[in-house]
Amino acid sequence: MSAMTPAPTAPTAVGGGRARPTRPRTLSAFRSGPLTYGLLVILSAIFTVPLVFVVSIALSSDATVSTGQLSILPRDFEFSNFVKIFQTSLPVGSFLVNSVIIAVSSAIGQVLSSSLVGYAFARLRAPGKRPLFFVVIATMMIPAQITMIPQFWIFSQLGWIDSFLPLIVPQFFSNAFNIFLVRQFVTRIPYEMDEAASIDGLGFFGIYARLILPMMTPILIAIAIFTLTAMWGDFMGPLIYINSEDKMPLALGVQYLTSTSQELQTPPWNLIMVGSIFLSLPMIIIYYFGQKYMYEMNLSAGSAGVK
Amino acid sequence: MTSTALRPPTAGRAASRGAAPPRQKLTPHRRKEALTFYLFISPWVIGFVVFLLGPMLFSIYLSFTEWDSFTAPVWVGLDNYITLLTDDPIFLRVMGNTAYYSLISVPLGMVVSLFIANLLNKKVRFRKLFRTLVYLPHLIPIVAVALIFQMVFAPEAGPLNQALALIGIDGPNWLRDADWVKPALILMSLWQAGGGTILLLAGMNGIPKELYEAAEIDGASGFRQFWSVTFPQLTPVIFFNLIMGIIGSFQVFAQVFILTGGGPDNASQMAVPMLFDEAFRFYHMGYGSAIAWILFVVIMAFTALAFATSGRWVFYESEVRQ
Repeated sequence: MSAMTPAPTAPTAVGGGRARPTRPRTLSAFRSGPLTYGLLVILSAIFTVPLVFVVSIALSSDATVSTGQLSILPRDFEFSNFVKIFQTSLPVGSFLVNSVIIAVSSAIGQVLSSSLVGYAFARLRAPGKRPLFFVVIATMMIPAQITMIPQFWIFSQLGWIDSFLPLIVPQFFSNAFNIFLVRQFVTRIPYEMDEAASIDGLGFFGIYARLILPMMTPILIAIAIFTLTAMWGDFMGPLIYINSEDKMPLALGVQYLTSTSQELQTPPWNLIMVGSIFLSLPMIIIYYFGQKYMYEMNLSAGSAGVK
Repeated sequence: MTSTALRPPTAGRAASRGAAPPRQKLTPHRRKEALTFYLFISPWVIGFVVFLLGPMLFSIYLSFTEWDSFTAPVWVGLDNYITLLTDDPIFLRVMGNTAYYSLISVPLGMVVSLFIANLLNKKVRFRKLFRTLVYLPHLIPIVAVALIFQMVFAPEAGPLNQALALIGIDGPNWLRDADWVKPALILMSLWQAGGGTILLLAGMNGIPKELYEAAEIDGASGFRQFWSVTFPQLTPVIFFNLIMGIIGSFQVFAQVFILTGGGPDNASQMAVPMLFDEAFRFYHMGYGSAIAWILFVVIMAFTALAFATSGRWVFYESEVRQ
């Protein structure tokens, strides 16, 4: 490869007119040998084994599970488990639908509210804006546990316990990190565009809705993905607020599968692993299609990519 | 309006990137702008007051009371805090467990992710495949991770003990053994350490090649180049990961709740699961609030400590961020 490249006869000028000597060899820091590959293969294998094991269990027959005869590579291929999970005593179909409802409405709420608030902090001038923004940033430091108990009380006073509302409604009031992301993103859009739109007769809301909002799409998709994944996987929220089975999202429902089996009886691990796959697969798919937007988010936050 | 406004938008876009907005607008206009600002940020203001500031103040008050959430709170002064710190049978142990988990899993996870990132930063074939395999566990929701590892840690059929058996080690009953349950939770957190590699790789990408060339000319070995160029240049990213890691891991909940329920004999009970039990199982809302505030102070203390020592080892240079 590059180690074989013969010494160049003349330095070639690269863009910007800056001549730079071509490197004849890979720098030591980037050289890879059998050890590099060996380590990478071993590490990848370690990271992959649990995933293969999940698939193996998910495809096991009930008999294999109840006798504990599990193996890392699949022995049975009971694809019917993927249908059987919907025929248990628990409403797994509803779990899925509930998860989608909660995650999607939360994402909508965050996108709408964060874009509005972030735009205001990036563009509009008002007395007190700086200290307010400082407060926004400071709120990132407050752990959720502090507000958990009072919020529970508020939502129980509103009669919202055992509904999706305590999970969804707060998302419509934006959060500090998303505001920060939008603000950083909008700051990079040239202000002249606002001016031009203003001359064309657009008011502040018009500039926001017709000009800036469409340009914000990448960061809003990043925020939507971030919210979707966070709410899809959220366990503590539903655990506190949801009691009835038909309102549980999948993250809580799958866990519930393990606890509903009778004492001294092996939980249906094959079905639980099918549930875990249902829980995980959408996240992998979203990541696959959303990678570049997640990168946008890292970019906006400087070196700050929070998961 | 002004001459700036009359410029064609295309010219303006290229010419004055990042220029400050002009400030010669009329006062009624500015007033309207300010009003619009307050209107636009009102979702955040309402959310801040209703879901954060109000609850925070209420939570401080509650931490000085005894409250079952049904009858009126009873003021008990500092009793909750005093009981927690001197008389609670498990609280200090729980905080110890939490610190043990956090202070081992976070640095260890950073070493693992840095090690992997450095391997992936070399000239390797199938880099994308390796990167995906290492990153994949990070995408799995924590509930699924916990359920998966309940199987991985299974004493006989679990792959972990099977692998240990291959090299002649009789693996422990990870989740039922008071000595091994915390290491088990740490191992599980390491499975998701690949998440950090993406950020580190992006950071490594931004390190100027000239630094390595200079090191190469000075005769530095590959390892030396990593230790003297890569690592110092990455310290800002590592520092960020450290802070976020500490904050996140002190709040560990679902793993403990699902895998061990805090057992055996509270060996794996941690702060947030205990808070959850006190508040939502036993309805000790005041006591739970006091736990939350102690936890907050501890997290802040560790974060402050990380910041205080950062001057000694975090290296900032304008070129690092790209």
